[in-house]
Amino acid sequence: MDLKLDADDLNTCVQCGLCLPHCPTFRVTGEETMSPRGRIALMRAVQDDGVPVTDEVVDAFATCVQCRGCEPACPSGVPYGHLMERTRETLADAGAMTPTWQRLALKPLAYPAMLRAGSKALSVAQRLNLVPARLGLSEEIPFSQEPLATSGDDLFLFTGCVMDAWQRDVHASGQRVLEAAGFGVTPTNDLAPCCGALQAHAGLARDTRSLAEKMMANLPAGGGETPRPIVVDSAGCGAAMKDYGHLLGTPEAEAFSARVFDIQEFVAQHMNRLPAVEPLELAVAVQDPCHLRHVQRVHDATRTVLRPFVRELIELDDDGLCCGAGGAYSVLQPELAGQIRERKVASIERAAADFVASANPGCSMHLGGVGVATVHPMQIVDRGLHGIA
Amino acid sequence: MTPSLAIDDPVLSTFAAEVGSNGPIAVAGGRTRWDHGGSLAADARIIEAPQGIVEYRPDEMTVTVRAGTSVEELHAELAEAGQRTALPERGGSVGGALMVGENGPFVAGRGLLRASLLQVRYVSADGALVTGGGPTVKNVSGFDIPRIMVGSLGTLGLVAEAIIRTNPVPATHRFIASSDVDPFAVPDVILRPGCITWDGSTTTVMLEGHEVDVDADAARLAELGSFADVDGLPELPAHRWSLPPSDVRLLGAKPNAPAVGAFVALVGVGTVYASNPQPQRSIDPTVRLISDRMKNQFDPTGRLNPGRSVLPFEPNKAGAA
Amino acid sequence: MRGQITGRLASLVKRSSKSAIEADGPDAALLADLRSALAPDRVKMDGAQRSLLGHDASVFGGGVAGPVCYPVDAAEVSAIMTIAEQHGRGIVPRGAGTGLAGGAIPLGAPVVIAVTKMNSILEVDTENRIAWVEPGVINLDLSKHLASYGFHFAPDPSSQQVCTIGGNVGNNSGGPHCLLYGVTNAHVVAMEVVLASGEIVTLGGLDAEPDGYDLRGAFVGSEGTLGITTKIAVRLTPNAPSVRTLLLAFSTVQAAANTVSAVIADGIVPAAMEVMDQRITIAVENYVNAGYPTDAAAVLLAEVEGLEGGTAIDADRIAELGRENGAVSVRVAATDEERALLWKGRKTAFGAVAQIAPDYYLHDTVVPRSKLAEVLDQIYEIADRHDVLVMNVFHAGDGNLHPLIVFDGRIEGTWDRVHAAGGEILQASLAAGGVLSGEHGIGVEKQQYMSAMFSDDDLDHQGRLRRAFDPACRANPGKVLPAGHSCADIAALRKVPSGVWG
Repeated sequence: MDLKLDADDLNTCVQCGLCLPHCPTFRVTGEETMSPRGRIALMRAVQDDGVPVTDEVVDAFATCVQCRGCEPACPSGVPYGHLMERTRETLADAGAMTPTWQRLALKPLAYPAMLRAGSKALSVAQRLNLVPARLGLSEEIPFSQEPLATSGDDLFLFTGCVMDAWQRDVHASGQRVLEAAGFGVTPTNDLAPCCGALQAHAGLARDTRSLAEKMMANLPAGGGETPRPIVVDSAGCGAAMKDYGHLLGTPEAEAFSARVFDIQEFVAQHMNRLPAVEPLELAVAVQDPCHLRHVQRVHDATRTVLRPFVRELIELDDDGLCCGAGGAYSVLQPELAGQIRERKVASIERAAADFVASANPGCSMHLGGVGVATVHPMQIVDRGLHGIA
Repeated sequence: MTPSLAIDDPVLSTFAAEVGSNGPIAVAGGRTRWDHGGSLAADARIIEAPQGIVEYRPDEMTVTVRAGTSVEELHAELAEAGQRTALPERGGSVGGALMVGENGPFVAGRGLLRASLLQVRYVSADGALVTGGGPTVKNVSGFDIPRIMVGSLGTLGLVAEAIIRTNPVPATHRFIASSDVDPFAVPDVILRPGCITWDGSTTTVMLEGHEVDVDADAARLAELGSFADVDGLPELPAHRWSLPPSDVRLLGAKPNAPAVGAFVALVGVGTVYASNPQPQRSIDPTVRLISDRMKNQFDPTGRLNPGRSVLPFEPNKAGAA
Repeated sequence: MRGQITGRLASLVKRSSKSAIEADGPDAALLADLRSALAPDRVKMDGAQRSLLGHDASVFGGGVAGPVCYPVDAAEVSAIMTIAEQHGRGIVPRGAGTGLAGGAIPLGAPVVIAVTKMNSILEVDTENRIAWVEPGVINLDLSKHLASYGFHFAPDPSSQQVCTIGGNVGNNSGGPHCLLYGVTNAHVVAMEVVLASGEIVTLGGLDAEPDGYDLRGAFVGSEGTLGITTKIAVRLTPNAPSVRTLLLAFSTVQAAANTVSAVIADGIVPAAMEVMDQRITIAVENYVNAGYPTDAAAVLLAEVEGLEGGTAIDADRIAELGRENGAVSVRVAATDEERALLWKGRKTAFGAVAQIAPDYYLHDTVVPRSKLAEVLDQIYEIADRHDVLVMNVFHAGDGNLHPLIVFDGRIEGTWDRVHAAGGEILQASLAAGGVLSGEHGIGVEKQQYMSAMFSDDDLDHQGRLRRAFDPACRANPGKVLPAGHSCADIAALRKVPSGVWG
């Protein structure tokens, strides 16, 4: 079957295996089908050799967290993430993966009102113990919060879907930090309901493309000397939005992607605009979200931003291995996601920090599911600047 | 085509012809461990291995030497280029030392004998000249014949020539001794000791390397106890025990200590020179099975060094052997 | 001879995995027995799994895996061995599948025993200076774990971030720092192994001089043909307090090689001495920006480890010897970061090259140090004559060459030229007094070249050593020894299943 993969991309892999230890599913299973090298070999087998797409083959693709930890480890520069997204898209189109219930479940993300209603329902259900523990959701989903208010038009703060519904206080901290650096902030709220990352992961790239187009239309560059930056405080969303150029393949999309910054990345570039303060008496461990470290590769910025605000920064000892959240992965592959999380939790425990900083809602919810409390780096900076709100 | 390791040394061919293909046979070196592994059968023909250093390349850190050459002669030649080997200096021949397989007391600094044999040429039970291993310091080309030859007591083949790894002799060395130091704390502060011995009361340390490093090591040791310069190691008792390094702690005036008698132990190594012999150790039946098969594979008629065995004969078979 | 070898290797070149997936499955009884001995979900026989385990990181394919087993302890491995024996099947051990000689390629649809789920560090015993580990532990993970005790595991192959200790034992792995510390054989004191007949036995021991033949030593580097390790006691090497790294640039490869010989002849044994030629230096510098001099014909990366005073003396002396031999520049890494960056360049060299062309074939031979420059000249000449691009990055300190042929295998006829060039490189190395392999092993890659190094009697004796452990030749069948020797009935293995081997 033609997976519509670029032959050159596929041939970049020389099967050396250096990716294996950086793959969370290989780490917990030790199985070749659960490794990037194995998955690429299967893509080749399907596309080049006409190997049938059996359940086992689909399973090999479906178990990938899409953390892309393999990409920085790859000396040959295999574009694994794009290969996997395209593979899933082709298989989803052919009805071989991403069943209807998953498609339906992803629909509300694009519709803020629906999502907020759903979240409310979910939070009620959770309080009534109706949500299975294996979903690994954080302990309490807030009922509702006030939307963020615009303070100026220097930049957009992307608020997104799931995160806005469940972690709006993170956006609030981010906005206060940006304002402390002297920027007037426009929260995107309903202007840009969803980045489309989860859809792209599920092979529903068409949905992502349409969300991307909508967002590009709603978040104009403005008439200023420099185009208005779009600052994103969710690593997964930022990675997806930086990929619009590749996804749509248009100059407009490329220009849009060039305006997208992770909030740590953005703040790190403007540290001189933040006031000097006494560091908080905290030892903070940094848990890098995969889409910050492996995809955007701006995780150093997290350290730059946090360092002046805390007594001690602690690195985890697992070389940035994924925590198993992976967007909807923790719901779709609960067993593997749990095993992967156990490794991460062990590493966090060894770090013995006061707080774990993590810049992605998926990670924090997934880790929260087993009682590991995380805070967003912006919440720490906000606290350092403003004290406890 | 001719294999790159083909043998064209007439001296070795003569030796192979002398070994022939039948009749019990053994090779005598310096006879320093002649009864090791059992007494040679009385009817065995005893011959001598060829002698001579064939090629010495200091810049390759290898020496090709015939088995009958004395270790003393070899080391004298190497010393001129400032090198040495892991062969123990206790008299005897290179071949004998390799076949017995004992490490010397300075094993910590000079390395294990078993790791120093790069290539071996031996005469097989059917009289053929066979090469195992290869001439370079690094080699993983096929099965590692040299490993099973070291310590084989000539029961698998009669060694004719060896290529042995050499090592530089350090710039300086120094022996110091202390009677108030914890001998087991010494390895923790000395990166690469030449030798550490303990006889139950005195700890003797041989330091070697650049003078500045030896001085630094001595200074570190001085913080652990009071050391004084000495001429060398204490006299080593005749018998040798092989223990895990941690068991050396059990020696001395402790209850349930192994009955070594008077002893000098190599700390961090586990070899104990003792006045009493080590009792026979039990042998895993599968180790014995593989070993018996090995002997049968290499010497099906049992003509090589008959009466000798690398494993102690089982008590109930002792008479038969 | 070359034509025959090329033909044989060409038949092994990685090709479609279609046939492997569609090949007839192993008989149901074998599978049922294996599943009852292990948890059912740890015995796989779906096409995806079996097709992936048909090859390793080498350029060879064509293997066909039988059932794939993921045991968790020695008892399970023993049960697999016994069942395979009852069903007349071979077994092939597998670690991370990073071998470059095809040692883990399953021939004759054997039961694949993957040790990747046996990955615990069982015990760190600092007094005996050993650690007991399971075979699936990753090399670099072990050294990271040992760091807090002040030790490391010395063998450091370039694949150390992924290769397993069990695989290191199978291949007697090396790495840059083996110049000072020796290869894996010097760092394994004891092993629990399972023989092909199912017996579980400990070889070697923690004591200074274990009784009997050195079966431990024979097992290390046997490429899985003597059995499988299930527990390994590795030696702990103390981390040196002082490390100095020098980068010397030369206007000829000969001058770099001469410096290496001069250093050794001077009585210095550096921890590592690595040489890169200009082609690979340019590729690496583009990738890591470590400040490698790209205008030099060759660079020498030398490192000394020890105490502060001694490493200063040795580093100065190496710089001096380098200048005497024509070094145009000598740089000493001033910080740990600079040192790490220089090593990153060396260790990712193969990856950097992989960006130049889609395929590479990494060779591995050893020559006497004094012949390095001469053999390198021949290698460039051979590559030119076969119209392939060759780059050289190698463990110069122990004469271990790694000629890297870079090419695009999709161009018709390229593979034949690559293999022809590779064959001639091997012959040149042997003619210079070298050996077939320094650390990659023989596997399927160099089987037919074994006769170019060893006589029939030599190979016969290697077969005897093997049969002492595995009389029926069921462990990793069809490897190491060439066709025509016992335990190497390759023709029969190639018949199963038909069509795959062409």
